[in-house]
Amino acid sequence: MKKIPNEQRKKRGFSLLLSIILVFCVFGTVVFAVSRKITKEMSDSAIQNLSESLDLLESTIEAILRSEAEFQTLIAREIARVEDPEAYIRACEKNQTMSKMALILAGRTEGVSNTGDRFTEEGLDFSAGGTVMGLPVSRSYLNYMGTWSYTIKCPVERDGREIGTLYAEYIYDAIDRSLPDGFYNKQASLYIMDAESQRFVLKPKGMGRRSAGHLNLTDFYRANDIQDPGIRAEVDTCLEEGRNILFYHSIRDVQALNYMWSVNGGTVYLVGYVPVEAIQQEGRTVSQNILVVVASMLAAFFLCILLYYLNWRQQDRLRREQEAERKLHSQQLAEALQAAQIASESKTTFLSNMSHDIRTPMNAVLGFATLLALEAENPARVREYTKKIMASGQHLLSLINDILDVSKIESGKVVLNFEKFSLNDVVSSVDAIIQPMAKARGQAFHLEMTGVRHEYLVGDETRINQILINLLSNAVKYTPEGGAIWFRIIGLKQRSGQYEHIRIEVEDNGYGMTPEYLETIFDAFTRAENSTTNKVQGTGLGMAITKSIVELMGGTIEVYSEVDRGTLFRVDLELRIQEERADRRFWEQRGISRVLAVDGSPESREDIRVLMEDTGVRLDAVPGLEEALALLRDGGEWQLLLLDWETCGPAAAKGLREELPGDVPILLMAELDAPDVEKALELGRGGVLTKPFFVSALREKVEELWAEPGGEAGPEPGEMEDLKGLRFLAAEDNEINAEILAELLEIEGASCEIVENGRLALERFQRSEEGEFDAILMDVQMPVMSGHEAAKAIRSLEREDAGRIPIIAMTANAFAEDEKAALDAGMDAHVSKPLNMELLKKVIRQCTGRRGES
Amino acid sequence: MHRTKGRIMMKRIKSKSRTAVLLAALTALCLTACGGGETEFKNLISEEKEEERVVNLFSPMEKTAPNAENVARTAADLTVAMAEEALDVSVAYWTYTAENYQDKTYDEVALDRARNNMDDLYLLNPDVILALGAEGKLMDLSGLDSAGNLREIIRTANTVDGKLVAIPQEVVAYGLFVNADLFRQYDLSLPETPEEFLECCRVFKENGIETPIGANRWWLETFVFALAYTDLYNGGNTEAEIAALNSGEARYSDYMRPGFEFLQTLIDRGYIDPEKALVSEAIEAEGPDFLAGKTPIVMAYWGAANTETAYGKTEFEMQVIGFPSSRGQMPVMPMTGWAVGAEAEHREDAARVLDRMVSDEALQLFSETNRVISPSKNVKVDCVPALRPLNDRIEEGIYVLGSNAGMNVEQWGNTCLIVRDLLGGATVEECMASFDRLQEAAMAGT
Repeated sequence: MKKIPNEQRKKRGFSLLLSIILVFCVFGTVVFAVSRKITKEMSDSAIQNLSESLDLLESTIEAILRSEAEFQTLIAREIARVEDPEAYIRACEKNQTMSKMALILAGRTEGVSNTGDRFTEEGLDFSAGGTVMGLPVSRSYLNYMGTWSYTIKCPVERDGREIGTLYAEYIYDAIDRSLPDGFYNKQASLYIMDAESQRFVLKPKGMGRRSAGHLNLTDFYRANDIQDPGIRAEVDTCLEEGRNILFYHSIRDVQALNYMWSVNGGTVYLVGYVPVEAIQQEGRTVSQNILVVVASMLAAFFLCILLYYLNWRQQDRLRREQEAERKLHSQQLAEALQAAQIASESKTTFLSNMSHDIRTPMNAVLGFATLLALEAENPARVREYTKKIMASGQHLLSLINDILDVSKIESGKVVLNFEKFSLNDVVSSVDAIIQPMAKARGQAFHLEMTGVRHEYLVGDETRINQILINLLSNAVKYTPEGGAIWFRIIGLKQRSGQYEHIRIEVEDNGYGMTPEYLETIFDAFTRAENSTTNKVQGTGLGMAITKSIVELMGGTIEVYSEVDRGTLFRVDLELRIQEERADRRFWEQRGISRVLAVDGSPESREDIRVLMEDTGVRLDAVPGLEEALALLRDGGEWQLLLLDWETCGPAAAKGLREELPGDVPILLMAELDAPDVEKALELGRGGVLTKPFFVSALREKVEELWAEPGGEAGPEPGEMEDLKGLRFLAAEDNEINAEILAELLEIEGASCEIVENGRLALERFQRSEEGEFDAILMDVQMPVMSGHEAAKAIRSLEREDAGRIPIIAMTANAFAEDEKAALDAGMDAHVSKPLNMELLKKVIRQCTGRRGES
Repeated sequence: MHRTKGRIMMKRIKSKSRTAVLLAALTALCLTACGGGETEFKNLISEEKEEERVVNLFSPMEKTAPNAENVARTAADLTVAMAEEALDVSVAYWTYTAENYQDKTYDEVALDRARNNMDDLYLLNPDVILALGAEGKLMDLSGLDSAGNLREIIRTANTVDGKLVAIPQEVVAYGLFVNADLFRQYDLSLPETPEEFLECCRVFKENGIETPIGANRWWLETFVFALAYTDLYNGGNTEAEIAALNSGEARYSDYMRPGFEFLQTLIDRGYIDPEKALVSEAIEAEGPDFLAGKTPIVMAYWGAANTETAYGKTEFEMQVIGFPSSRGQMPVMPMTGWAVGAEAEHREDAARVLDRMVSDEALQLFSETNRVISPSKNVKVDCVPALRPLNDRIEEGIYVLGSNAGMNVEQWGNTCLIVRDLLGGATVEECMASFDRLQEAAMAGT
């Protein structure tokens, strides 16, 4: 994915902005040009419109004036015809248009009028020279009626001779009657001005604002703030020349067209103004509509931009999400590839390691076997070589077991086998295995146990053993000679009443691990590689197996380590507590109700107290001899005394022995191999209880002590393991294995009949007499009939001994489920191949013994 | 991831549907705009309007200044509009104002127009009311509903031959408009008596104010009325004194003399410029100097204190006080009023319009707009602070009428003309002779 640099992006944004501005500029220019054109056209149209209206008014007024002149001419002719013109005049009545009529006969200065007054030309000013149809018209004046008027004079001619002059006075109000009742929706203002005096002689009804009147042109200028000398000069010129003038000027902040419109050749002027808005009402509507259209277009444009932007933003987000997804995918792929490569490399390394690791013991086996063949006559050498072959074989076996375990765990085939077990047994067996190993390397092995409330638990004992042995054997392996190993079992606070929460700690002060290695310690096929640990043999699978098992059990495993300082493994497990056993009866039967514990360590005393909690036995715990003696003197009676050998020592043992009745046994709580402990036993009835201990261990000791008087001793171990005289039926398809088995049993003094498969074994057993065979040793994977089928068939035989003859599985299938399958098929025990003679003897003894008892 | 995609898809669908709805709405809008153009035959000329009823109203024309409101005019217009709306009549305005002193006066024109029945409704000065009332040219308005609301003094002042011939929209009170700042500057108190007034003028003159009193050809008569009728109207014997004047037992000239003598004193001492006053129109001539603070005293009517076109907006503290008299500051109240032509073309409509214009509702609006004393006893409005001194006197009932239809010699117009004679150089005696002639003519007429 190419990244667009910021600068480039900025440039793009800038050019986009520039383009938008440009588009707007062009758009704005077009709109401006159009609106300007429209404005101009509207202005032209307004001027034309107003001119037409004023022309119409002008024509109307001129028509009135003409008709007045015509009327007067007619009257003059009429007067010329009558005998007594003055009588005619007196008889004339005034009307709405003509307010007065008078006649001055030729040669006189006074005449008569129809109002009855004497009439002279005084007050009438014809000097301006205005005419209507050739008849002189006077300057405007206020007449006797208090209204503005003008007089037209007309000669009265008789036979071509002027006999007098006819004067007729007309009032401007008459014009008003002929004019429309306002124009431009009554927004236009109109005055009629006498050009000579510049007086406003008429403001027709409905023309302009009612409240604002104007006296004359000067007042008009003042009231409407027309102060521009240019305009005023132009107006003066036009008035002088009798021309029309139109100009723009705002009246009370409203733009208006002002006009001075000449009527009758300039004797009278129409003066006023029209707000431009009034003329351009339609135009304004058009402009508004254009504005609406432009606004709508702009809105639509912005809407489009908005929609486009929203769409783009959505697309962009989608694209980014897809990109992120792709990135994640490729990252995951890369990681997977890397993991695969690492796995592949690990497996390659592992294979090469395995190849090396398997070849090494195999080489030893073959080499020593060759040497054995050569030196068969030398018994010492034979024993030595055989021992080495055995050791190499054992190592090879453990390698193979581990590989198989790992592959099973990885393929998820491991199933935990939950059974009741005693923590004491587990600790004892582990201790029995590790103690000698540690001892052999001169390491101090400390076993500590604190706060464990329940000994009898439910779990997969074998796997727990496996965990402990893995951890401890590693500790032994990776701790140099003379080092120390601590094995701690700590009872943690219970989270549920039904589960014991146990912490197992295995600590050493050995080589330790680097932080890098710590990260991969639980991965399969890895092993700490350095000059020191290379000396150590191992498959590198142990920790992976351990972790898998712990997690399978719902526990956790942690490791803390420092190079050359040591390592601490910490496993937390929760194991179900077995239902309460009938423990109290044991103590009651033996009359034990009070026990005294003398231990210098308060923690130990607390541990003993916790252990004895559910036994129904009262425990008195004191720290030393003196306290114990004091209790004794106070009349304390105990049936058993527990004395810690490390904190109290021989003196206390001796002192207490002397004070206590002889039948009260003293059990010395001591580490295995504690010095001088044997001497203390000589003091009287008592024994040694290996620390730390569980109730079951204590019970065993008590059982031993209470049994002693009866002298019912168990059989000798050696005696028990002897197979002398026993006769076995063995089903084994592999000839070599069959031969080895036969030889080994023969060495042990037993005889063996070998058959090749299950069916033959079944048939042979059918044919045998009762008691002919002491046990059947059954391989599992065999042709014709498998061991399981054969066992089932034997058990289903209708013979008395068919149900009780011990059938022991001997198979290379060495897993727990194999053992379970064997037991399910009706077999009594399971021994994995290659054969461990000691184990086989033990199993045979157990099976034959148990069968014998039952 | 699928869910995210799904959400995005949903969003896209939502946004698409939103756009679709928007477009649909736009289309619908366009279609609506384009539709509705159904055509059917119709005469495009609207039906003939009912013939419009018109009332012609004649009133003086106020010279308007650009962008300035004429409150007094606005107030009257508001009441006219109220009447138009209520009665569905159209009032047409006819106006006249003299261009200069040589022109016919408004009163003259009003007389001519009323005598020739040119208009229906007139705004008239008291002398014209009296003249036209006496000629029987004005309609009797006592039958109007609103006539019942009038204060008694108003009714009396506008009754001629038993007919109520005019009704005002405001009680016009004249007073002295003084520049209180200048009085303070020269440590002068506002004058109560003619002597105090003369003293003030002396101080102003001595301090370089050439002409302390701004005068025009119309309103100097107010000084005369204040001095002439102070006792007549405030002495408790008004009716008897008027009766004596009407019967000829008492002479108008005797009442008028102190006022004319006082004016003569003012002229003699140069406190008034008689030549200038004789050709000056009201406010136009003396107004600018008063507003500029050059003239400390002018005379004007009540409404001038409210109107921007007159003295409604001064940069100094203005006070309006009564004219000096023996009884202290004296407001002078002539009665202008609206009248209807007895033979006017639209007399009935005009009477109805006037009834509306002087109704309590209209007068309330008028008084609130114009801040004047209302002729209706039912309408009371606060006045501007400058008018308080004058208002206080009127409220006390202390004032002098500038016109009285009950007197057989018209006061307001005649006195004005005779004062002009004085300004023109006539002696006080000659002026008194004029009054005597008028009284004799009146006596002869009756």
